Amino acid sequence: MKAAAFDYVKPRSIDQVISLLQEHGDDARLLAGGQSLLASLNMRLSEPRLLVDLGGLDALRGIGVHGGMLRIGALTTHTEIEGSALVAQHAPLLSAAAPHIAHRAIRNAGTWGGSIAHADAAAEWPTCLLALGGTVVARGPKGERRIAADDFFRGLYATALEPEEVLVAGELPLAAPGNWFAFDELARRRGDYAIVGMALAGRRSAGVLADTRIVLMGVDSTPLRARKTEASLNGKVVDEALAATAAASLRAEIDPLPDLTHSPETKRHLAGVLLQRLLIGARA
Amino acid sequence: MELSGDIWIGAPRPKVWEGLNDAEVLVRSIPGCESMEVISPTERAARVMVKVGPVRARFTGHVRMEDIRPGEGCTLHFEGSGGPAGMAKGHSAVDLTDEDGGTRLNYTVQASVGGKLGQVGGRMIDAAAKQMAEQFFTAFNAAVGEVAPATEAGPAAEAPPGPPAPALAAEAIAVPLPAPAAAVPAPRVVRPPAPPAPAPVGEGVRVLWFALGALSTGFGVWIASLLSR
Repeated sequence: MKAAAFDYVKPRSIDQVISLLQEHGDDARLLAGGQSLLASLNMRLSEPRLLVDLGGLDALRGIGVHGGMLRIGALTTHTEIEGSALVAQHAPLLSAAAPHIAHRAIRNAGTWGGSIAHADAAAEWPTCLLALGGTVVARGPKGERRIAADDFFRGLYATALEPEEVLVAGELPLAAPGNWFAFDELARRRGDYAIVGMALAGRRSAGVLADTRIVLMGVDSTPLRARKTEASLNGKVVDEALAATAAASLRAEIDPLPDLTHSPETKRHLAGVLLQRLLIGARA
Repeated sequence: MELSGDIWIGAPRPKVWEGLNDAEVLVRSIPGCESMEVISPTERAARVMVKVGPVRARFTGHVRMEDIRPGEGCTLHFEGSGGPAGMAKGHSAVDLTDEDGGTRLNYTVQASVGGKLGQVGGRMIDAAAKQMAEQFFTAFNAAVGEVAPATEAGPAAEAPPGPPAPALAAEAIAVPLPAPAAAVPAPRVVRPPAPPAPAPVGEGVRVLWFALGALSTGFGVWIASLLSR
């Protein structure tokens, strides 16, 4: 299938993008890497009148450390993140998650900001952003504002972004000694959307866990924090028994949404399996 | 896929049944419903504009009512089509019971999805269908409800914190049809428009969307068909 007819603009400044959004409202869509948008256009699931291509905005590219935060520009591709030494040093969770994102061709085109703004509940970046307690930087007619990841994901493909705002970057706290991270997902085939995925982040001193964050992907309409299970892990030392208890606690805590091929029970079970694996694996 | 839920509505059972049979109420309550056509006393067709995240698409749906028990419930058979992307069909059962001076509405839906939609797999169809069901019932409750809910329960409870503000919701509903999407919002904040950039990952998603559209259509229509008495 082919997309319905639309106009195409490639602005040279963010201000121009914002004024286009103000002018066209719901009829305009922002194009970053296009890995979800173009497919939905071609399926005719969406027929906007105007595509605003962000590709000309070099200010939205690049990875850097500013003010004690790792800042990743919205147009940074998955491949760039995957290969970045800065990311590997300051946010190793992203390096672990990147290879799970679809396939190479998609990683070469798809973007960090696009993934977060699209807010697919089974996508890797929203999950990682939430696990790391990151921040979204958005720019609108009134200037720039920062939104904590915990407040950003509001519902199924819904975020705290205003219709006239552009996501310009995502910021992550720098990994410190004593921080630990783990990421894994279960999919039917490599590169598929995860049936269930999980990102773990926290601190560990002498083996004792603190500030643990468990974020699940693919089980709810947004990336989901398992707060009760997080709390139950803090102050403890990981061993086999704790991992088993935590898995049971997680299964009791969540209420997964089914998809066409997996029941809530399947997902509940898999979530526990992942948590157990990640905890045991991160023990070393 | 299967979907079920229940909601407490602040109105006596006959009034709820009447509401389910009032095309006006339904058109205003179904998220994005643009038109509804009566084909026969037990059959209806509806056109629905679905807006969820990146998806903005029109779907047409067909609903046939069976096993009609006036004031108590019925079974609906629905079929929704989103053009070449695929289709969805299934059936749904609705039951009304008295509770706390109002009415508890229980619904279950079984549906199957075909076409590209089915091939790609419906990762998020359930979530989308559930969300639309919640939007529908929140709006419906605001339209027919007269008593403030004593206890909020069911899927709707997670949506608005505290008791819904009926006046506000009623206002939202009162928005004339031309802007159907705008009419839906109700108290629950769902923000479909403008995710600033498309996401990277795989391919499945939009299809599901369409599917959910079809489903929702079916759902809407089904409700409509309820009305046929």
